[in-house]
Amino acid sequence: MSITTENEQLAYIASQAADARVNVEVETDEGMTLNLGPQHPATHGTLRIIAKLDGEKVVAAEPIMGYMHRGYEKLTEVRTYPQVTTLINRIDWLGSFANEVPFILAAEQLMEVEAPPRAQWIRTILFELSRIANVCLFLGDMAVQVGATTPVFYAFRDREFVLNQIERVTGGRFHPNFDRIGGLKDDLPKGWIEETRGALDRMKSFCDEMEELVLGNEIFQARTRNIGVIPGDVALSYGLSGANLRASGVDWDIRRDANVGLVYDQVDWKVWTHPDGDSFARFWVRLQETREACNIIEQLLGSIPSGPIMAKVPRIIKVPEGEAYVATENPLGEMGYYVVSKGDLTPFRVKIRSASFSNMSITPWILKDVFVPDIISILASLYFILGDIDR
Amino acid sequence: MGLVESGKMPKSLTKLLNMSRRYSMWVYQWGLACCAIEMGAAFASPRYDVMRLGVIPLPASPRQADFLVVSGTVTDKMAPAVRRLWEQMPDPKYVISMGSCANCGGPYWDSYSVTKGVDQIVPVDVYVPGCPPRPEALLEGIVLLQERIMNEDMAERWKGDPIVVE
Amino acid sequence: MADIPEHLLKRAQAAREKAETEQPVDEQPSSEPAETDTAVAVVEEEVIDVDEKAEKTLNKIIEGLGEKVLSSHIAPNRGLWIRVSSENWRQTAQFLHDELDCTFFDWLSVIDWMPSPYGRELDTEQDIEPEQDSTEPEQMEWGYTGGDTRFQLICRVYSISNGIGIMVKADLDNQSPRALSLIPIYPGANWHEREAREMFGVTFDEHPDLRNIYLPGDFEGHPLRKDYPLLSRRMKPWPGIVDVEAMPGEDK
Repeated sequence: MSITTENEQLAYIASQAADARVNVEVETDEGMTLNLGPQHPATHGTLRIIAKLDGEKVVAAEPIMGYMHRGYEKLTEVRTYPQVTTLINRIDWLGSFANEVPFILAAEQLMEVEAPPRAQWIRTILFELSRIANVCLFLGDMAVQVGATTPVFYAFRDREFVLNQIERVTGGRFHPNFDRIGGLKDDLPKGWIEETRGALDRMKSFCDEMEELVLGNEIFQARTRNIGVIPGDVALSYGLSGANLRASGVDWDIRRDANVGLVYDQVDWKVWTHPDGDSFARFWVRLQETREACNIIEQLLGSIPSGPIMAKVPRIIKVPEGEAYVATENPLGEMGYYVVSKGDLTPFRVKIRSASFSNMSITPWILKDVFVPDIISILASLYFILGDIDR
Repeated sequence: MGLVESGKMPKSLTKLLNMSRRYSMWVYQWGLACCAIEMGAAFASPRYDVMRLGVIPLPASPRQADFLVVSGTVTDKMAPAVRRLWEQMPDPKYVISMGSCANCGGPYWDSYSVTKGVDQIVPVDVYVPGCPPRPEALLEGIVLLQERIMNEDMAERWKGDPIVVE
Repeated sequence: MADIPEHLLKRAQAAREKAETEQPVDEQPSSEPAETDTAVAVVEEEVIDVDEKAEKTLNKIIEGLGEKVLSSHIAPNRGLWIRVSSENWRQTAQFLHDELDCTFFDWLSVIDWMPSPYGRELDTEQDIEPEQDSTEPEQMEWGYTGGDTRFQLICRVYSISNGIGIMVKADLDNQSPRALSLIPIYPGANWHEREAREMFGVTFDEHPDLRNIYLPGDFEGHPLRKDYPLLSRRMKPWPGIVDVEAMPGEDK
């Protein structure tokens, strides 16, 4: 690093110091301003919230993001289609495989390629496995945020069994980069199906454990019942999706209502909703969905068709001119990619519709007139991942 | 005691102090991105269990911490806060940079908003490569840091001069 | 600047040349007449039932908005696009919200249709720098439902009761791109509009708070505009280039 750039760097940092001041607790006549974050144990990630308080009551709260903004939409414009999947894996880092699927499906739509049935089956299985790996951590984390430390250790313990299964197929615990335009990179390894059944049993007992340990707990109920209530129509107008929307009583699931390219129509499953719309409902819906995901995978494991795992695609992928939007029901909610292609090796423009960004846009509305400790439990129950907000 | 400042430390005393420092390290975990979850798996999950190495996770504040794990992408907006919290840590302090992003920018090497390596802001002792590194890799990084502490000449390091970023 | 070993560069070069010569050979089997025939047949089957829903919705939109819909496009089984002028931007959203029950606000963004002056082929190691005097406007090509200007607003709303998503586009003025904010209809548009302002420099009138959402306050430029350069690419060669290796079964 040369001296000039170092000086520039320091000047830049100095100019930023006001932006990133760590403690901005200011007490004025009108009340107190409280800063949470950007690095705060309870915001799982680098989210910063500035709340104006009147006593213990929040008058206005403003989330400040961008501490994890990595510029995906720009970077996708200078990468080829196969290289893009490496990048977008890292948007929602807990359920990585689920990030790849909508992009690949959008590219397939434009190329008019369809993955063979076996690939679709395995895609759906891995999709649901990443949902479990993702939501499992939510279940533990939510309990931590309201004061119970043990469940997160259970979550980390049992999550490893799911990650093992993903790793055995894809070679990566976290970022598989396994999906290809026209199919998948590889077939399932030997004995994987049986082992996955074992891991699913483990997950089911984890769900039971969480239900007994957390759901009936008096403190948990007191901290979450009737806290952070979102009515269904408000949720819709803010673009909330996924379990947050279903916990507000809106019976809408992309897997069932607007399914593209995955085989949910081959399975007998149920969409869970909860009428209350509070923090408790969001926890409850996610818990049921984890169980339902186990159920879906179990059914799919028994009926994987045989055949190839790759459709015929050219070696160098050029996507024909056109525009396509594909969304899937990711662990966090609706995730979609709007791909504009000009017939090149690289996409012309990719708009990433990430679930957490819309889910979090309701925070200024919902954090009004709540108490300070409820900020934490409401944020935890909305469940966001920073990479998914900031992209 | 004045011994450290004067630069005259008996070897056996250095060894004893180094050994005790090596096995009682408090770590401040700066979880930023994907790597934070692998760090969480290393620190909080029973499978990897970092405490057997004498590392205690989750101090309440950086002022109690001995070393810092920067795990994940450091953006230009975040960089001042990283620097600030590092400055709050008491000497002697160490930094482990975990993952490609913190090492050099990683997959975001050409991004307009990502700092290309946390070593531009704070001095780094151990780099753990990977995207993200497995928890085992982080544990190895911690072991390497412990070896480094063990072989450290205390008088050399603390003559009272502040550590300057290069 | 990173040094790439000579032999790796040579190998990369060889692999690229090989890939180029092979490309037409690979593409040929996929264009066999028998296969394409079946593919077309399948698509046509799907067209019939999906078109109805999109067609019906489009008819309703044209009935309600009349001349305001400049053009429309239906991609069978994939979606419905309409284009309006930026003056009718909010009216259109209001109509879709009230009459077609599109209560779910999906997303809002901008497309910059200018071809990137920093065009980069897969093979080049560094970004091509634009020539100093190449200021004449390059030929722009628009996507579905066409367009007239460089920036286009795009927004997607979804109707849960009808199960259809509608993509609305609007041309923006080249000199001062601006439109009315959608916040009174969809409060969720707030952050999306802030993002669009930051990334493209599009102004939204009647928006209460158009601050930067991602980047630090003193950041200059609008990164997602096509003429915004990625400076790192000028300084360093593309690291992926050394990774081009022969596929198994190929000779070196």
